[in-house]
Amino acid sequence: MPGNTVSSSRDRRPVFLNLAQIALPVGALASIAHRVAGVLLAIGIPLGVYALDLSLQGPQGFARMAAALEGLPSRAAVVVMAWALAHHLLAGVRHLLMDIDVGSRLPEARRSAWMVNAAGLAVALLAAVTAW
Amino acid sequence: MVKRGPSGWLAWIVQRASALYMLAFLVAGLLWFLVDPPGSHPAWRARMAGAGTGIATAAFFAALLAHAWVGLRDVVLDYVRPRSLCGPVLAGLGLGLVAVAAWVLRILVTVRT
Amino acid sequence: MRLSIFRFDPDRDERPYMQDFEIELAPTDRMLLDVILRIRTLDDSLAVRKSCREGVCGSDAMNINGRNGLACVTPVAGLAEPVVLRPLPGFPVIRDLVVDMTRFFAQYDSIKPYLQNDEPPTGKERLQSPRDRARLDGLYECILCACCTSQCPSYWWNPEKFVGPAGLLQACRFIVDSRDRATAQRLDDLDDAYRLFRCRTIMNCTEVCPKGLAPSRAIEAIRSAMTRRPR
Ligand code: SF4
Ligand code: SF4
Ligand code: FES
Repeated sequence: MPGNTVSSSRDRRPVFLNLAQIALPVGALASIAHRVAGVLLAIGIPLGVYALDLSLQGPQGFARMAAALEGLPSRAAVVVMAWALAHHLLAGVRHLLMDIDVGSRLPEARRSAWMVNAAGLAVALLAAVTAW
Repeated sequence: MVKRGPSGWLAWIVQRASALYMLAFLVAGLLWFLVDPPGSHPAWRARMAGAGTGIATAAFFAALLAHAWVGLRDVVLDYVRPRSLCGPVLAGLGLGLVAVAAWVLRILVTVRT
Repeated sequence: MRLSIFRFDPDRDERPYMQDFEIELAPTDRMLLDVILRIRTLDDSLAVRKSCREGVCGSDAMNINGRNGLACVTPVAGLAEPVVLRPLPGFPVIRDLVVDMTRFFAQYDSIKPYLQNDEPPTGKERLQSPRDRARLDGLYECILCACCTSQCPSYWWNPEKFVGPAGLLQACRFIVDSRDRATAQRLDDLDDAYRLFRCRTIMNCTEVCPKGLAPSRAIEAIRSAMTRRPR
């Protein structure tokens, strides 16, 4: 646009925010995973309600639901959901405890974040082993 | 003083309270499942038709949907840009959750008839 | 020592770039700021803010190998090379490592960082019991360097609406002050979806505070004050 080529230096202020170049402490990892897991679980709500509906409708529905859980994709989904539920639940308990000032100092918070991250993955592994 | 716009403390306490209830419900439900697994459809249906389980399950879904609402609302307020899109997206999410609530209610009512 | 430093001069550069430096460490180079100041003797176009050079003024906050800190109290020993220096994340860059703190201080200002008390003072000053005074420990020491706020993801997404950890630490400092009479108004002011409650207790703030303060616990204290207050 003519007459509009002179930009003041105020318009030219870049912001450094490259997430790949900023440290991600273990608590931040637990936190972003908490959110991802929460969104996955929210997506799972209608699916779970559908399963509940089907399983209660009649014996065929119950059998169909049980059969639907057999396929490979749904087994994978079960594993992902098991991770999501375990991580979200444990990270949630961690926050509830911190709300009443249990483990909210940095060293303990770091340790509990590690534990939550690991336990979530352990549950996923357990689910994978059981599903296959 | 009444503030307009999305709530702060109220949403936070709803999130915490619903989490506590769901935690108790899930632990109790899981234990019941492990101790006495409903292997067949009639057994499962009979369990879900009980008045106690019905109310506890309805309360669970109320807590679940309220909890999901607060959490999804936070995700939208953090990431959805431009900000003018937040309102419509939240309205859509709210409608979806209400629809799920209606669905759950129908399931829980029909199982008792 | 090898360093890689973020460069941007709005009058010359289209976009920011990283410039590599290599410098022989002198025995007097104890802290990162010492090294940066010697680099400036080689290239005086490098813009950096500093004043006290002892962790008191809060002006040389920057992102050091991914973590915010004060260059003047960051020992050279133990830094992984190349040492990557960038301006505070999420803050508009004026030049090189110097960022615009306007929004940060506006958020600080918004929590009314001063004692509010209309009662006539009884003597020369408003007295506090040692116990009430002790409640300010861990809160009053903040030097407003912005390391915490700039490392906070919640602030990145909502810098105009979320007060951020530094401002909230100060809010807590006045909420718990026995001499302040505006506690209810302060809590009301923070009770919306953004000002306090964008915090998700990620604790990045507490991770990086160069003064060893814990904004995340101050935020926790404000939430619990809201929960405990009569409604
Ligand atoms: S709380 Fe710590 S990191 Fe944050 S501004 Fe104050 S001194 Fe700096
Ligand atoms: S604890 Fe809260 S204020 Fe501190 S970094 Fe995390 S979200 Fe930000
Ligand atoms: S120069 Fe003052 S805090 Fe570093």
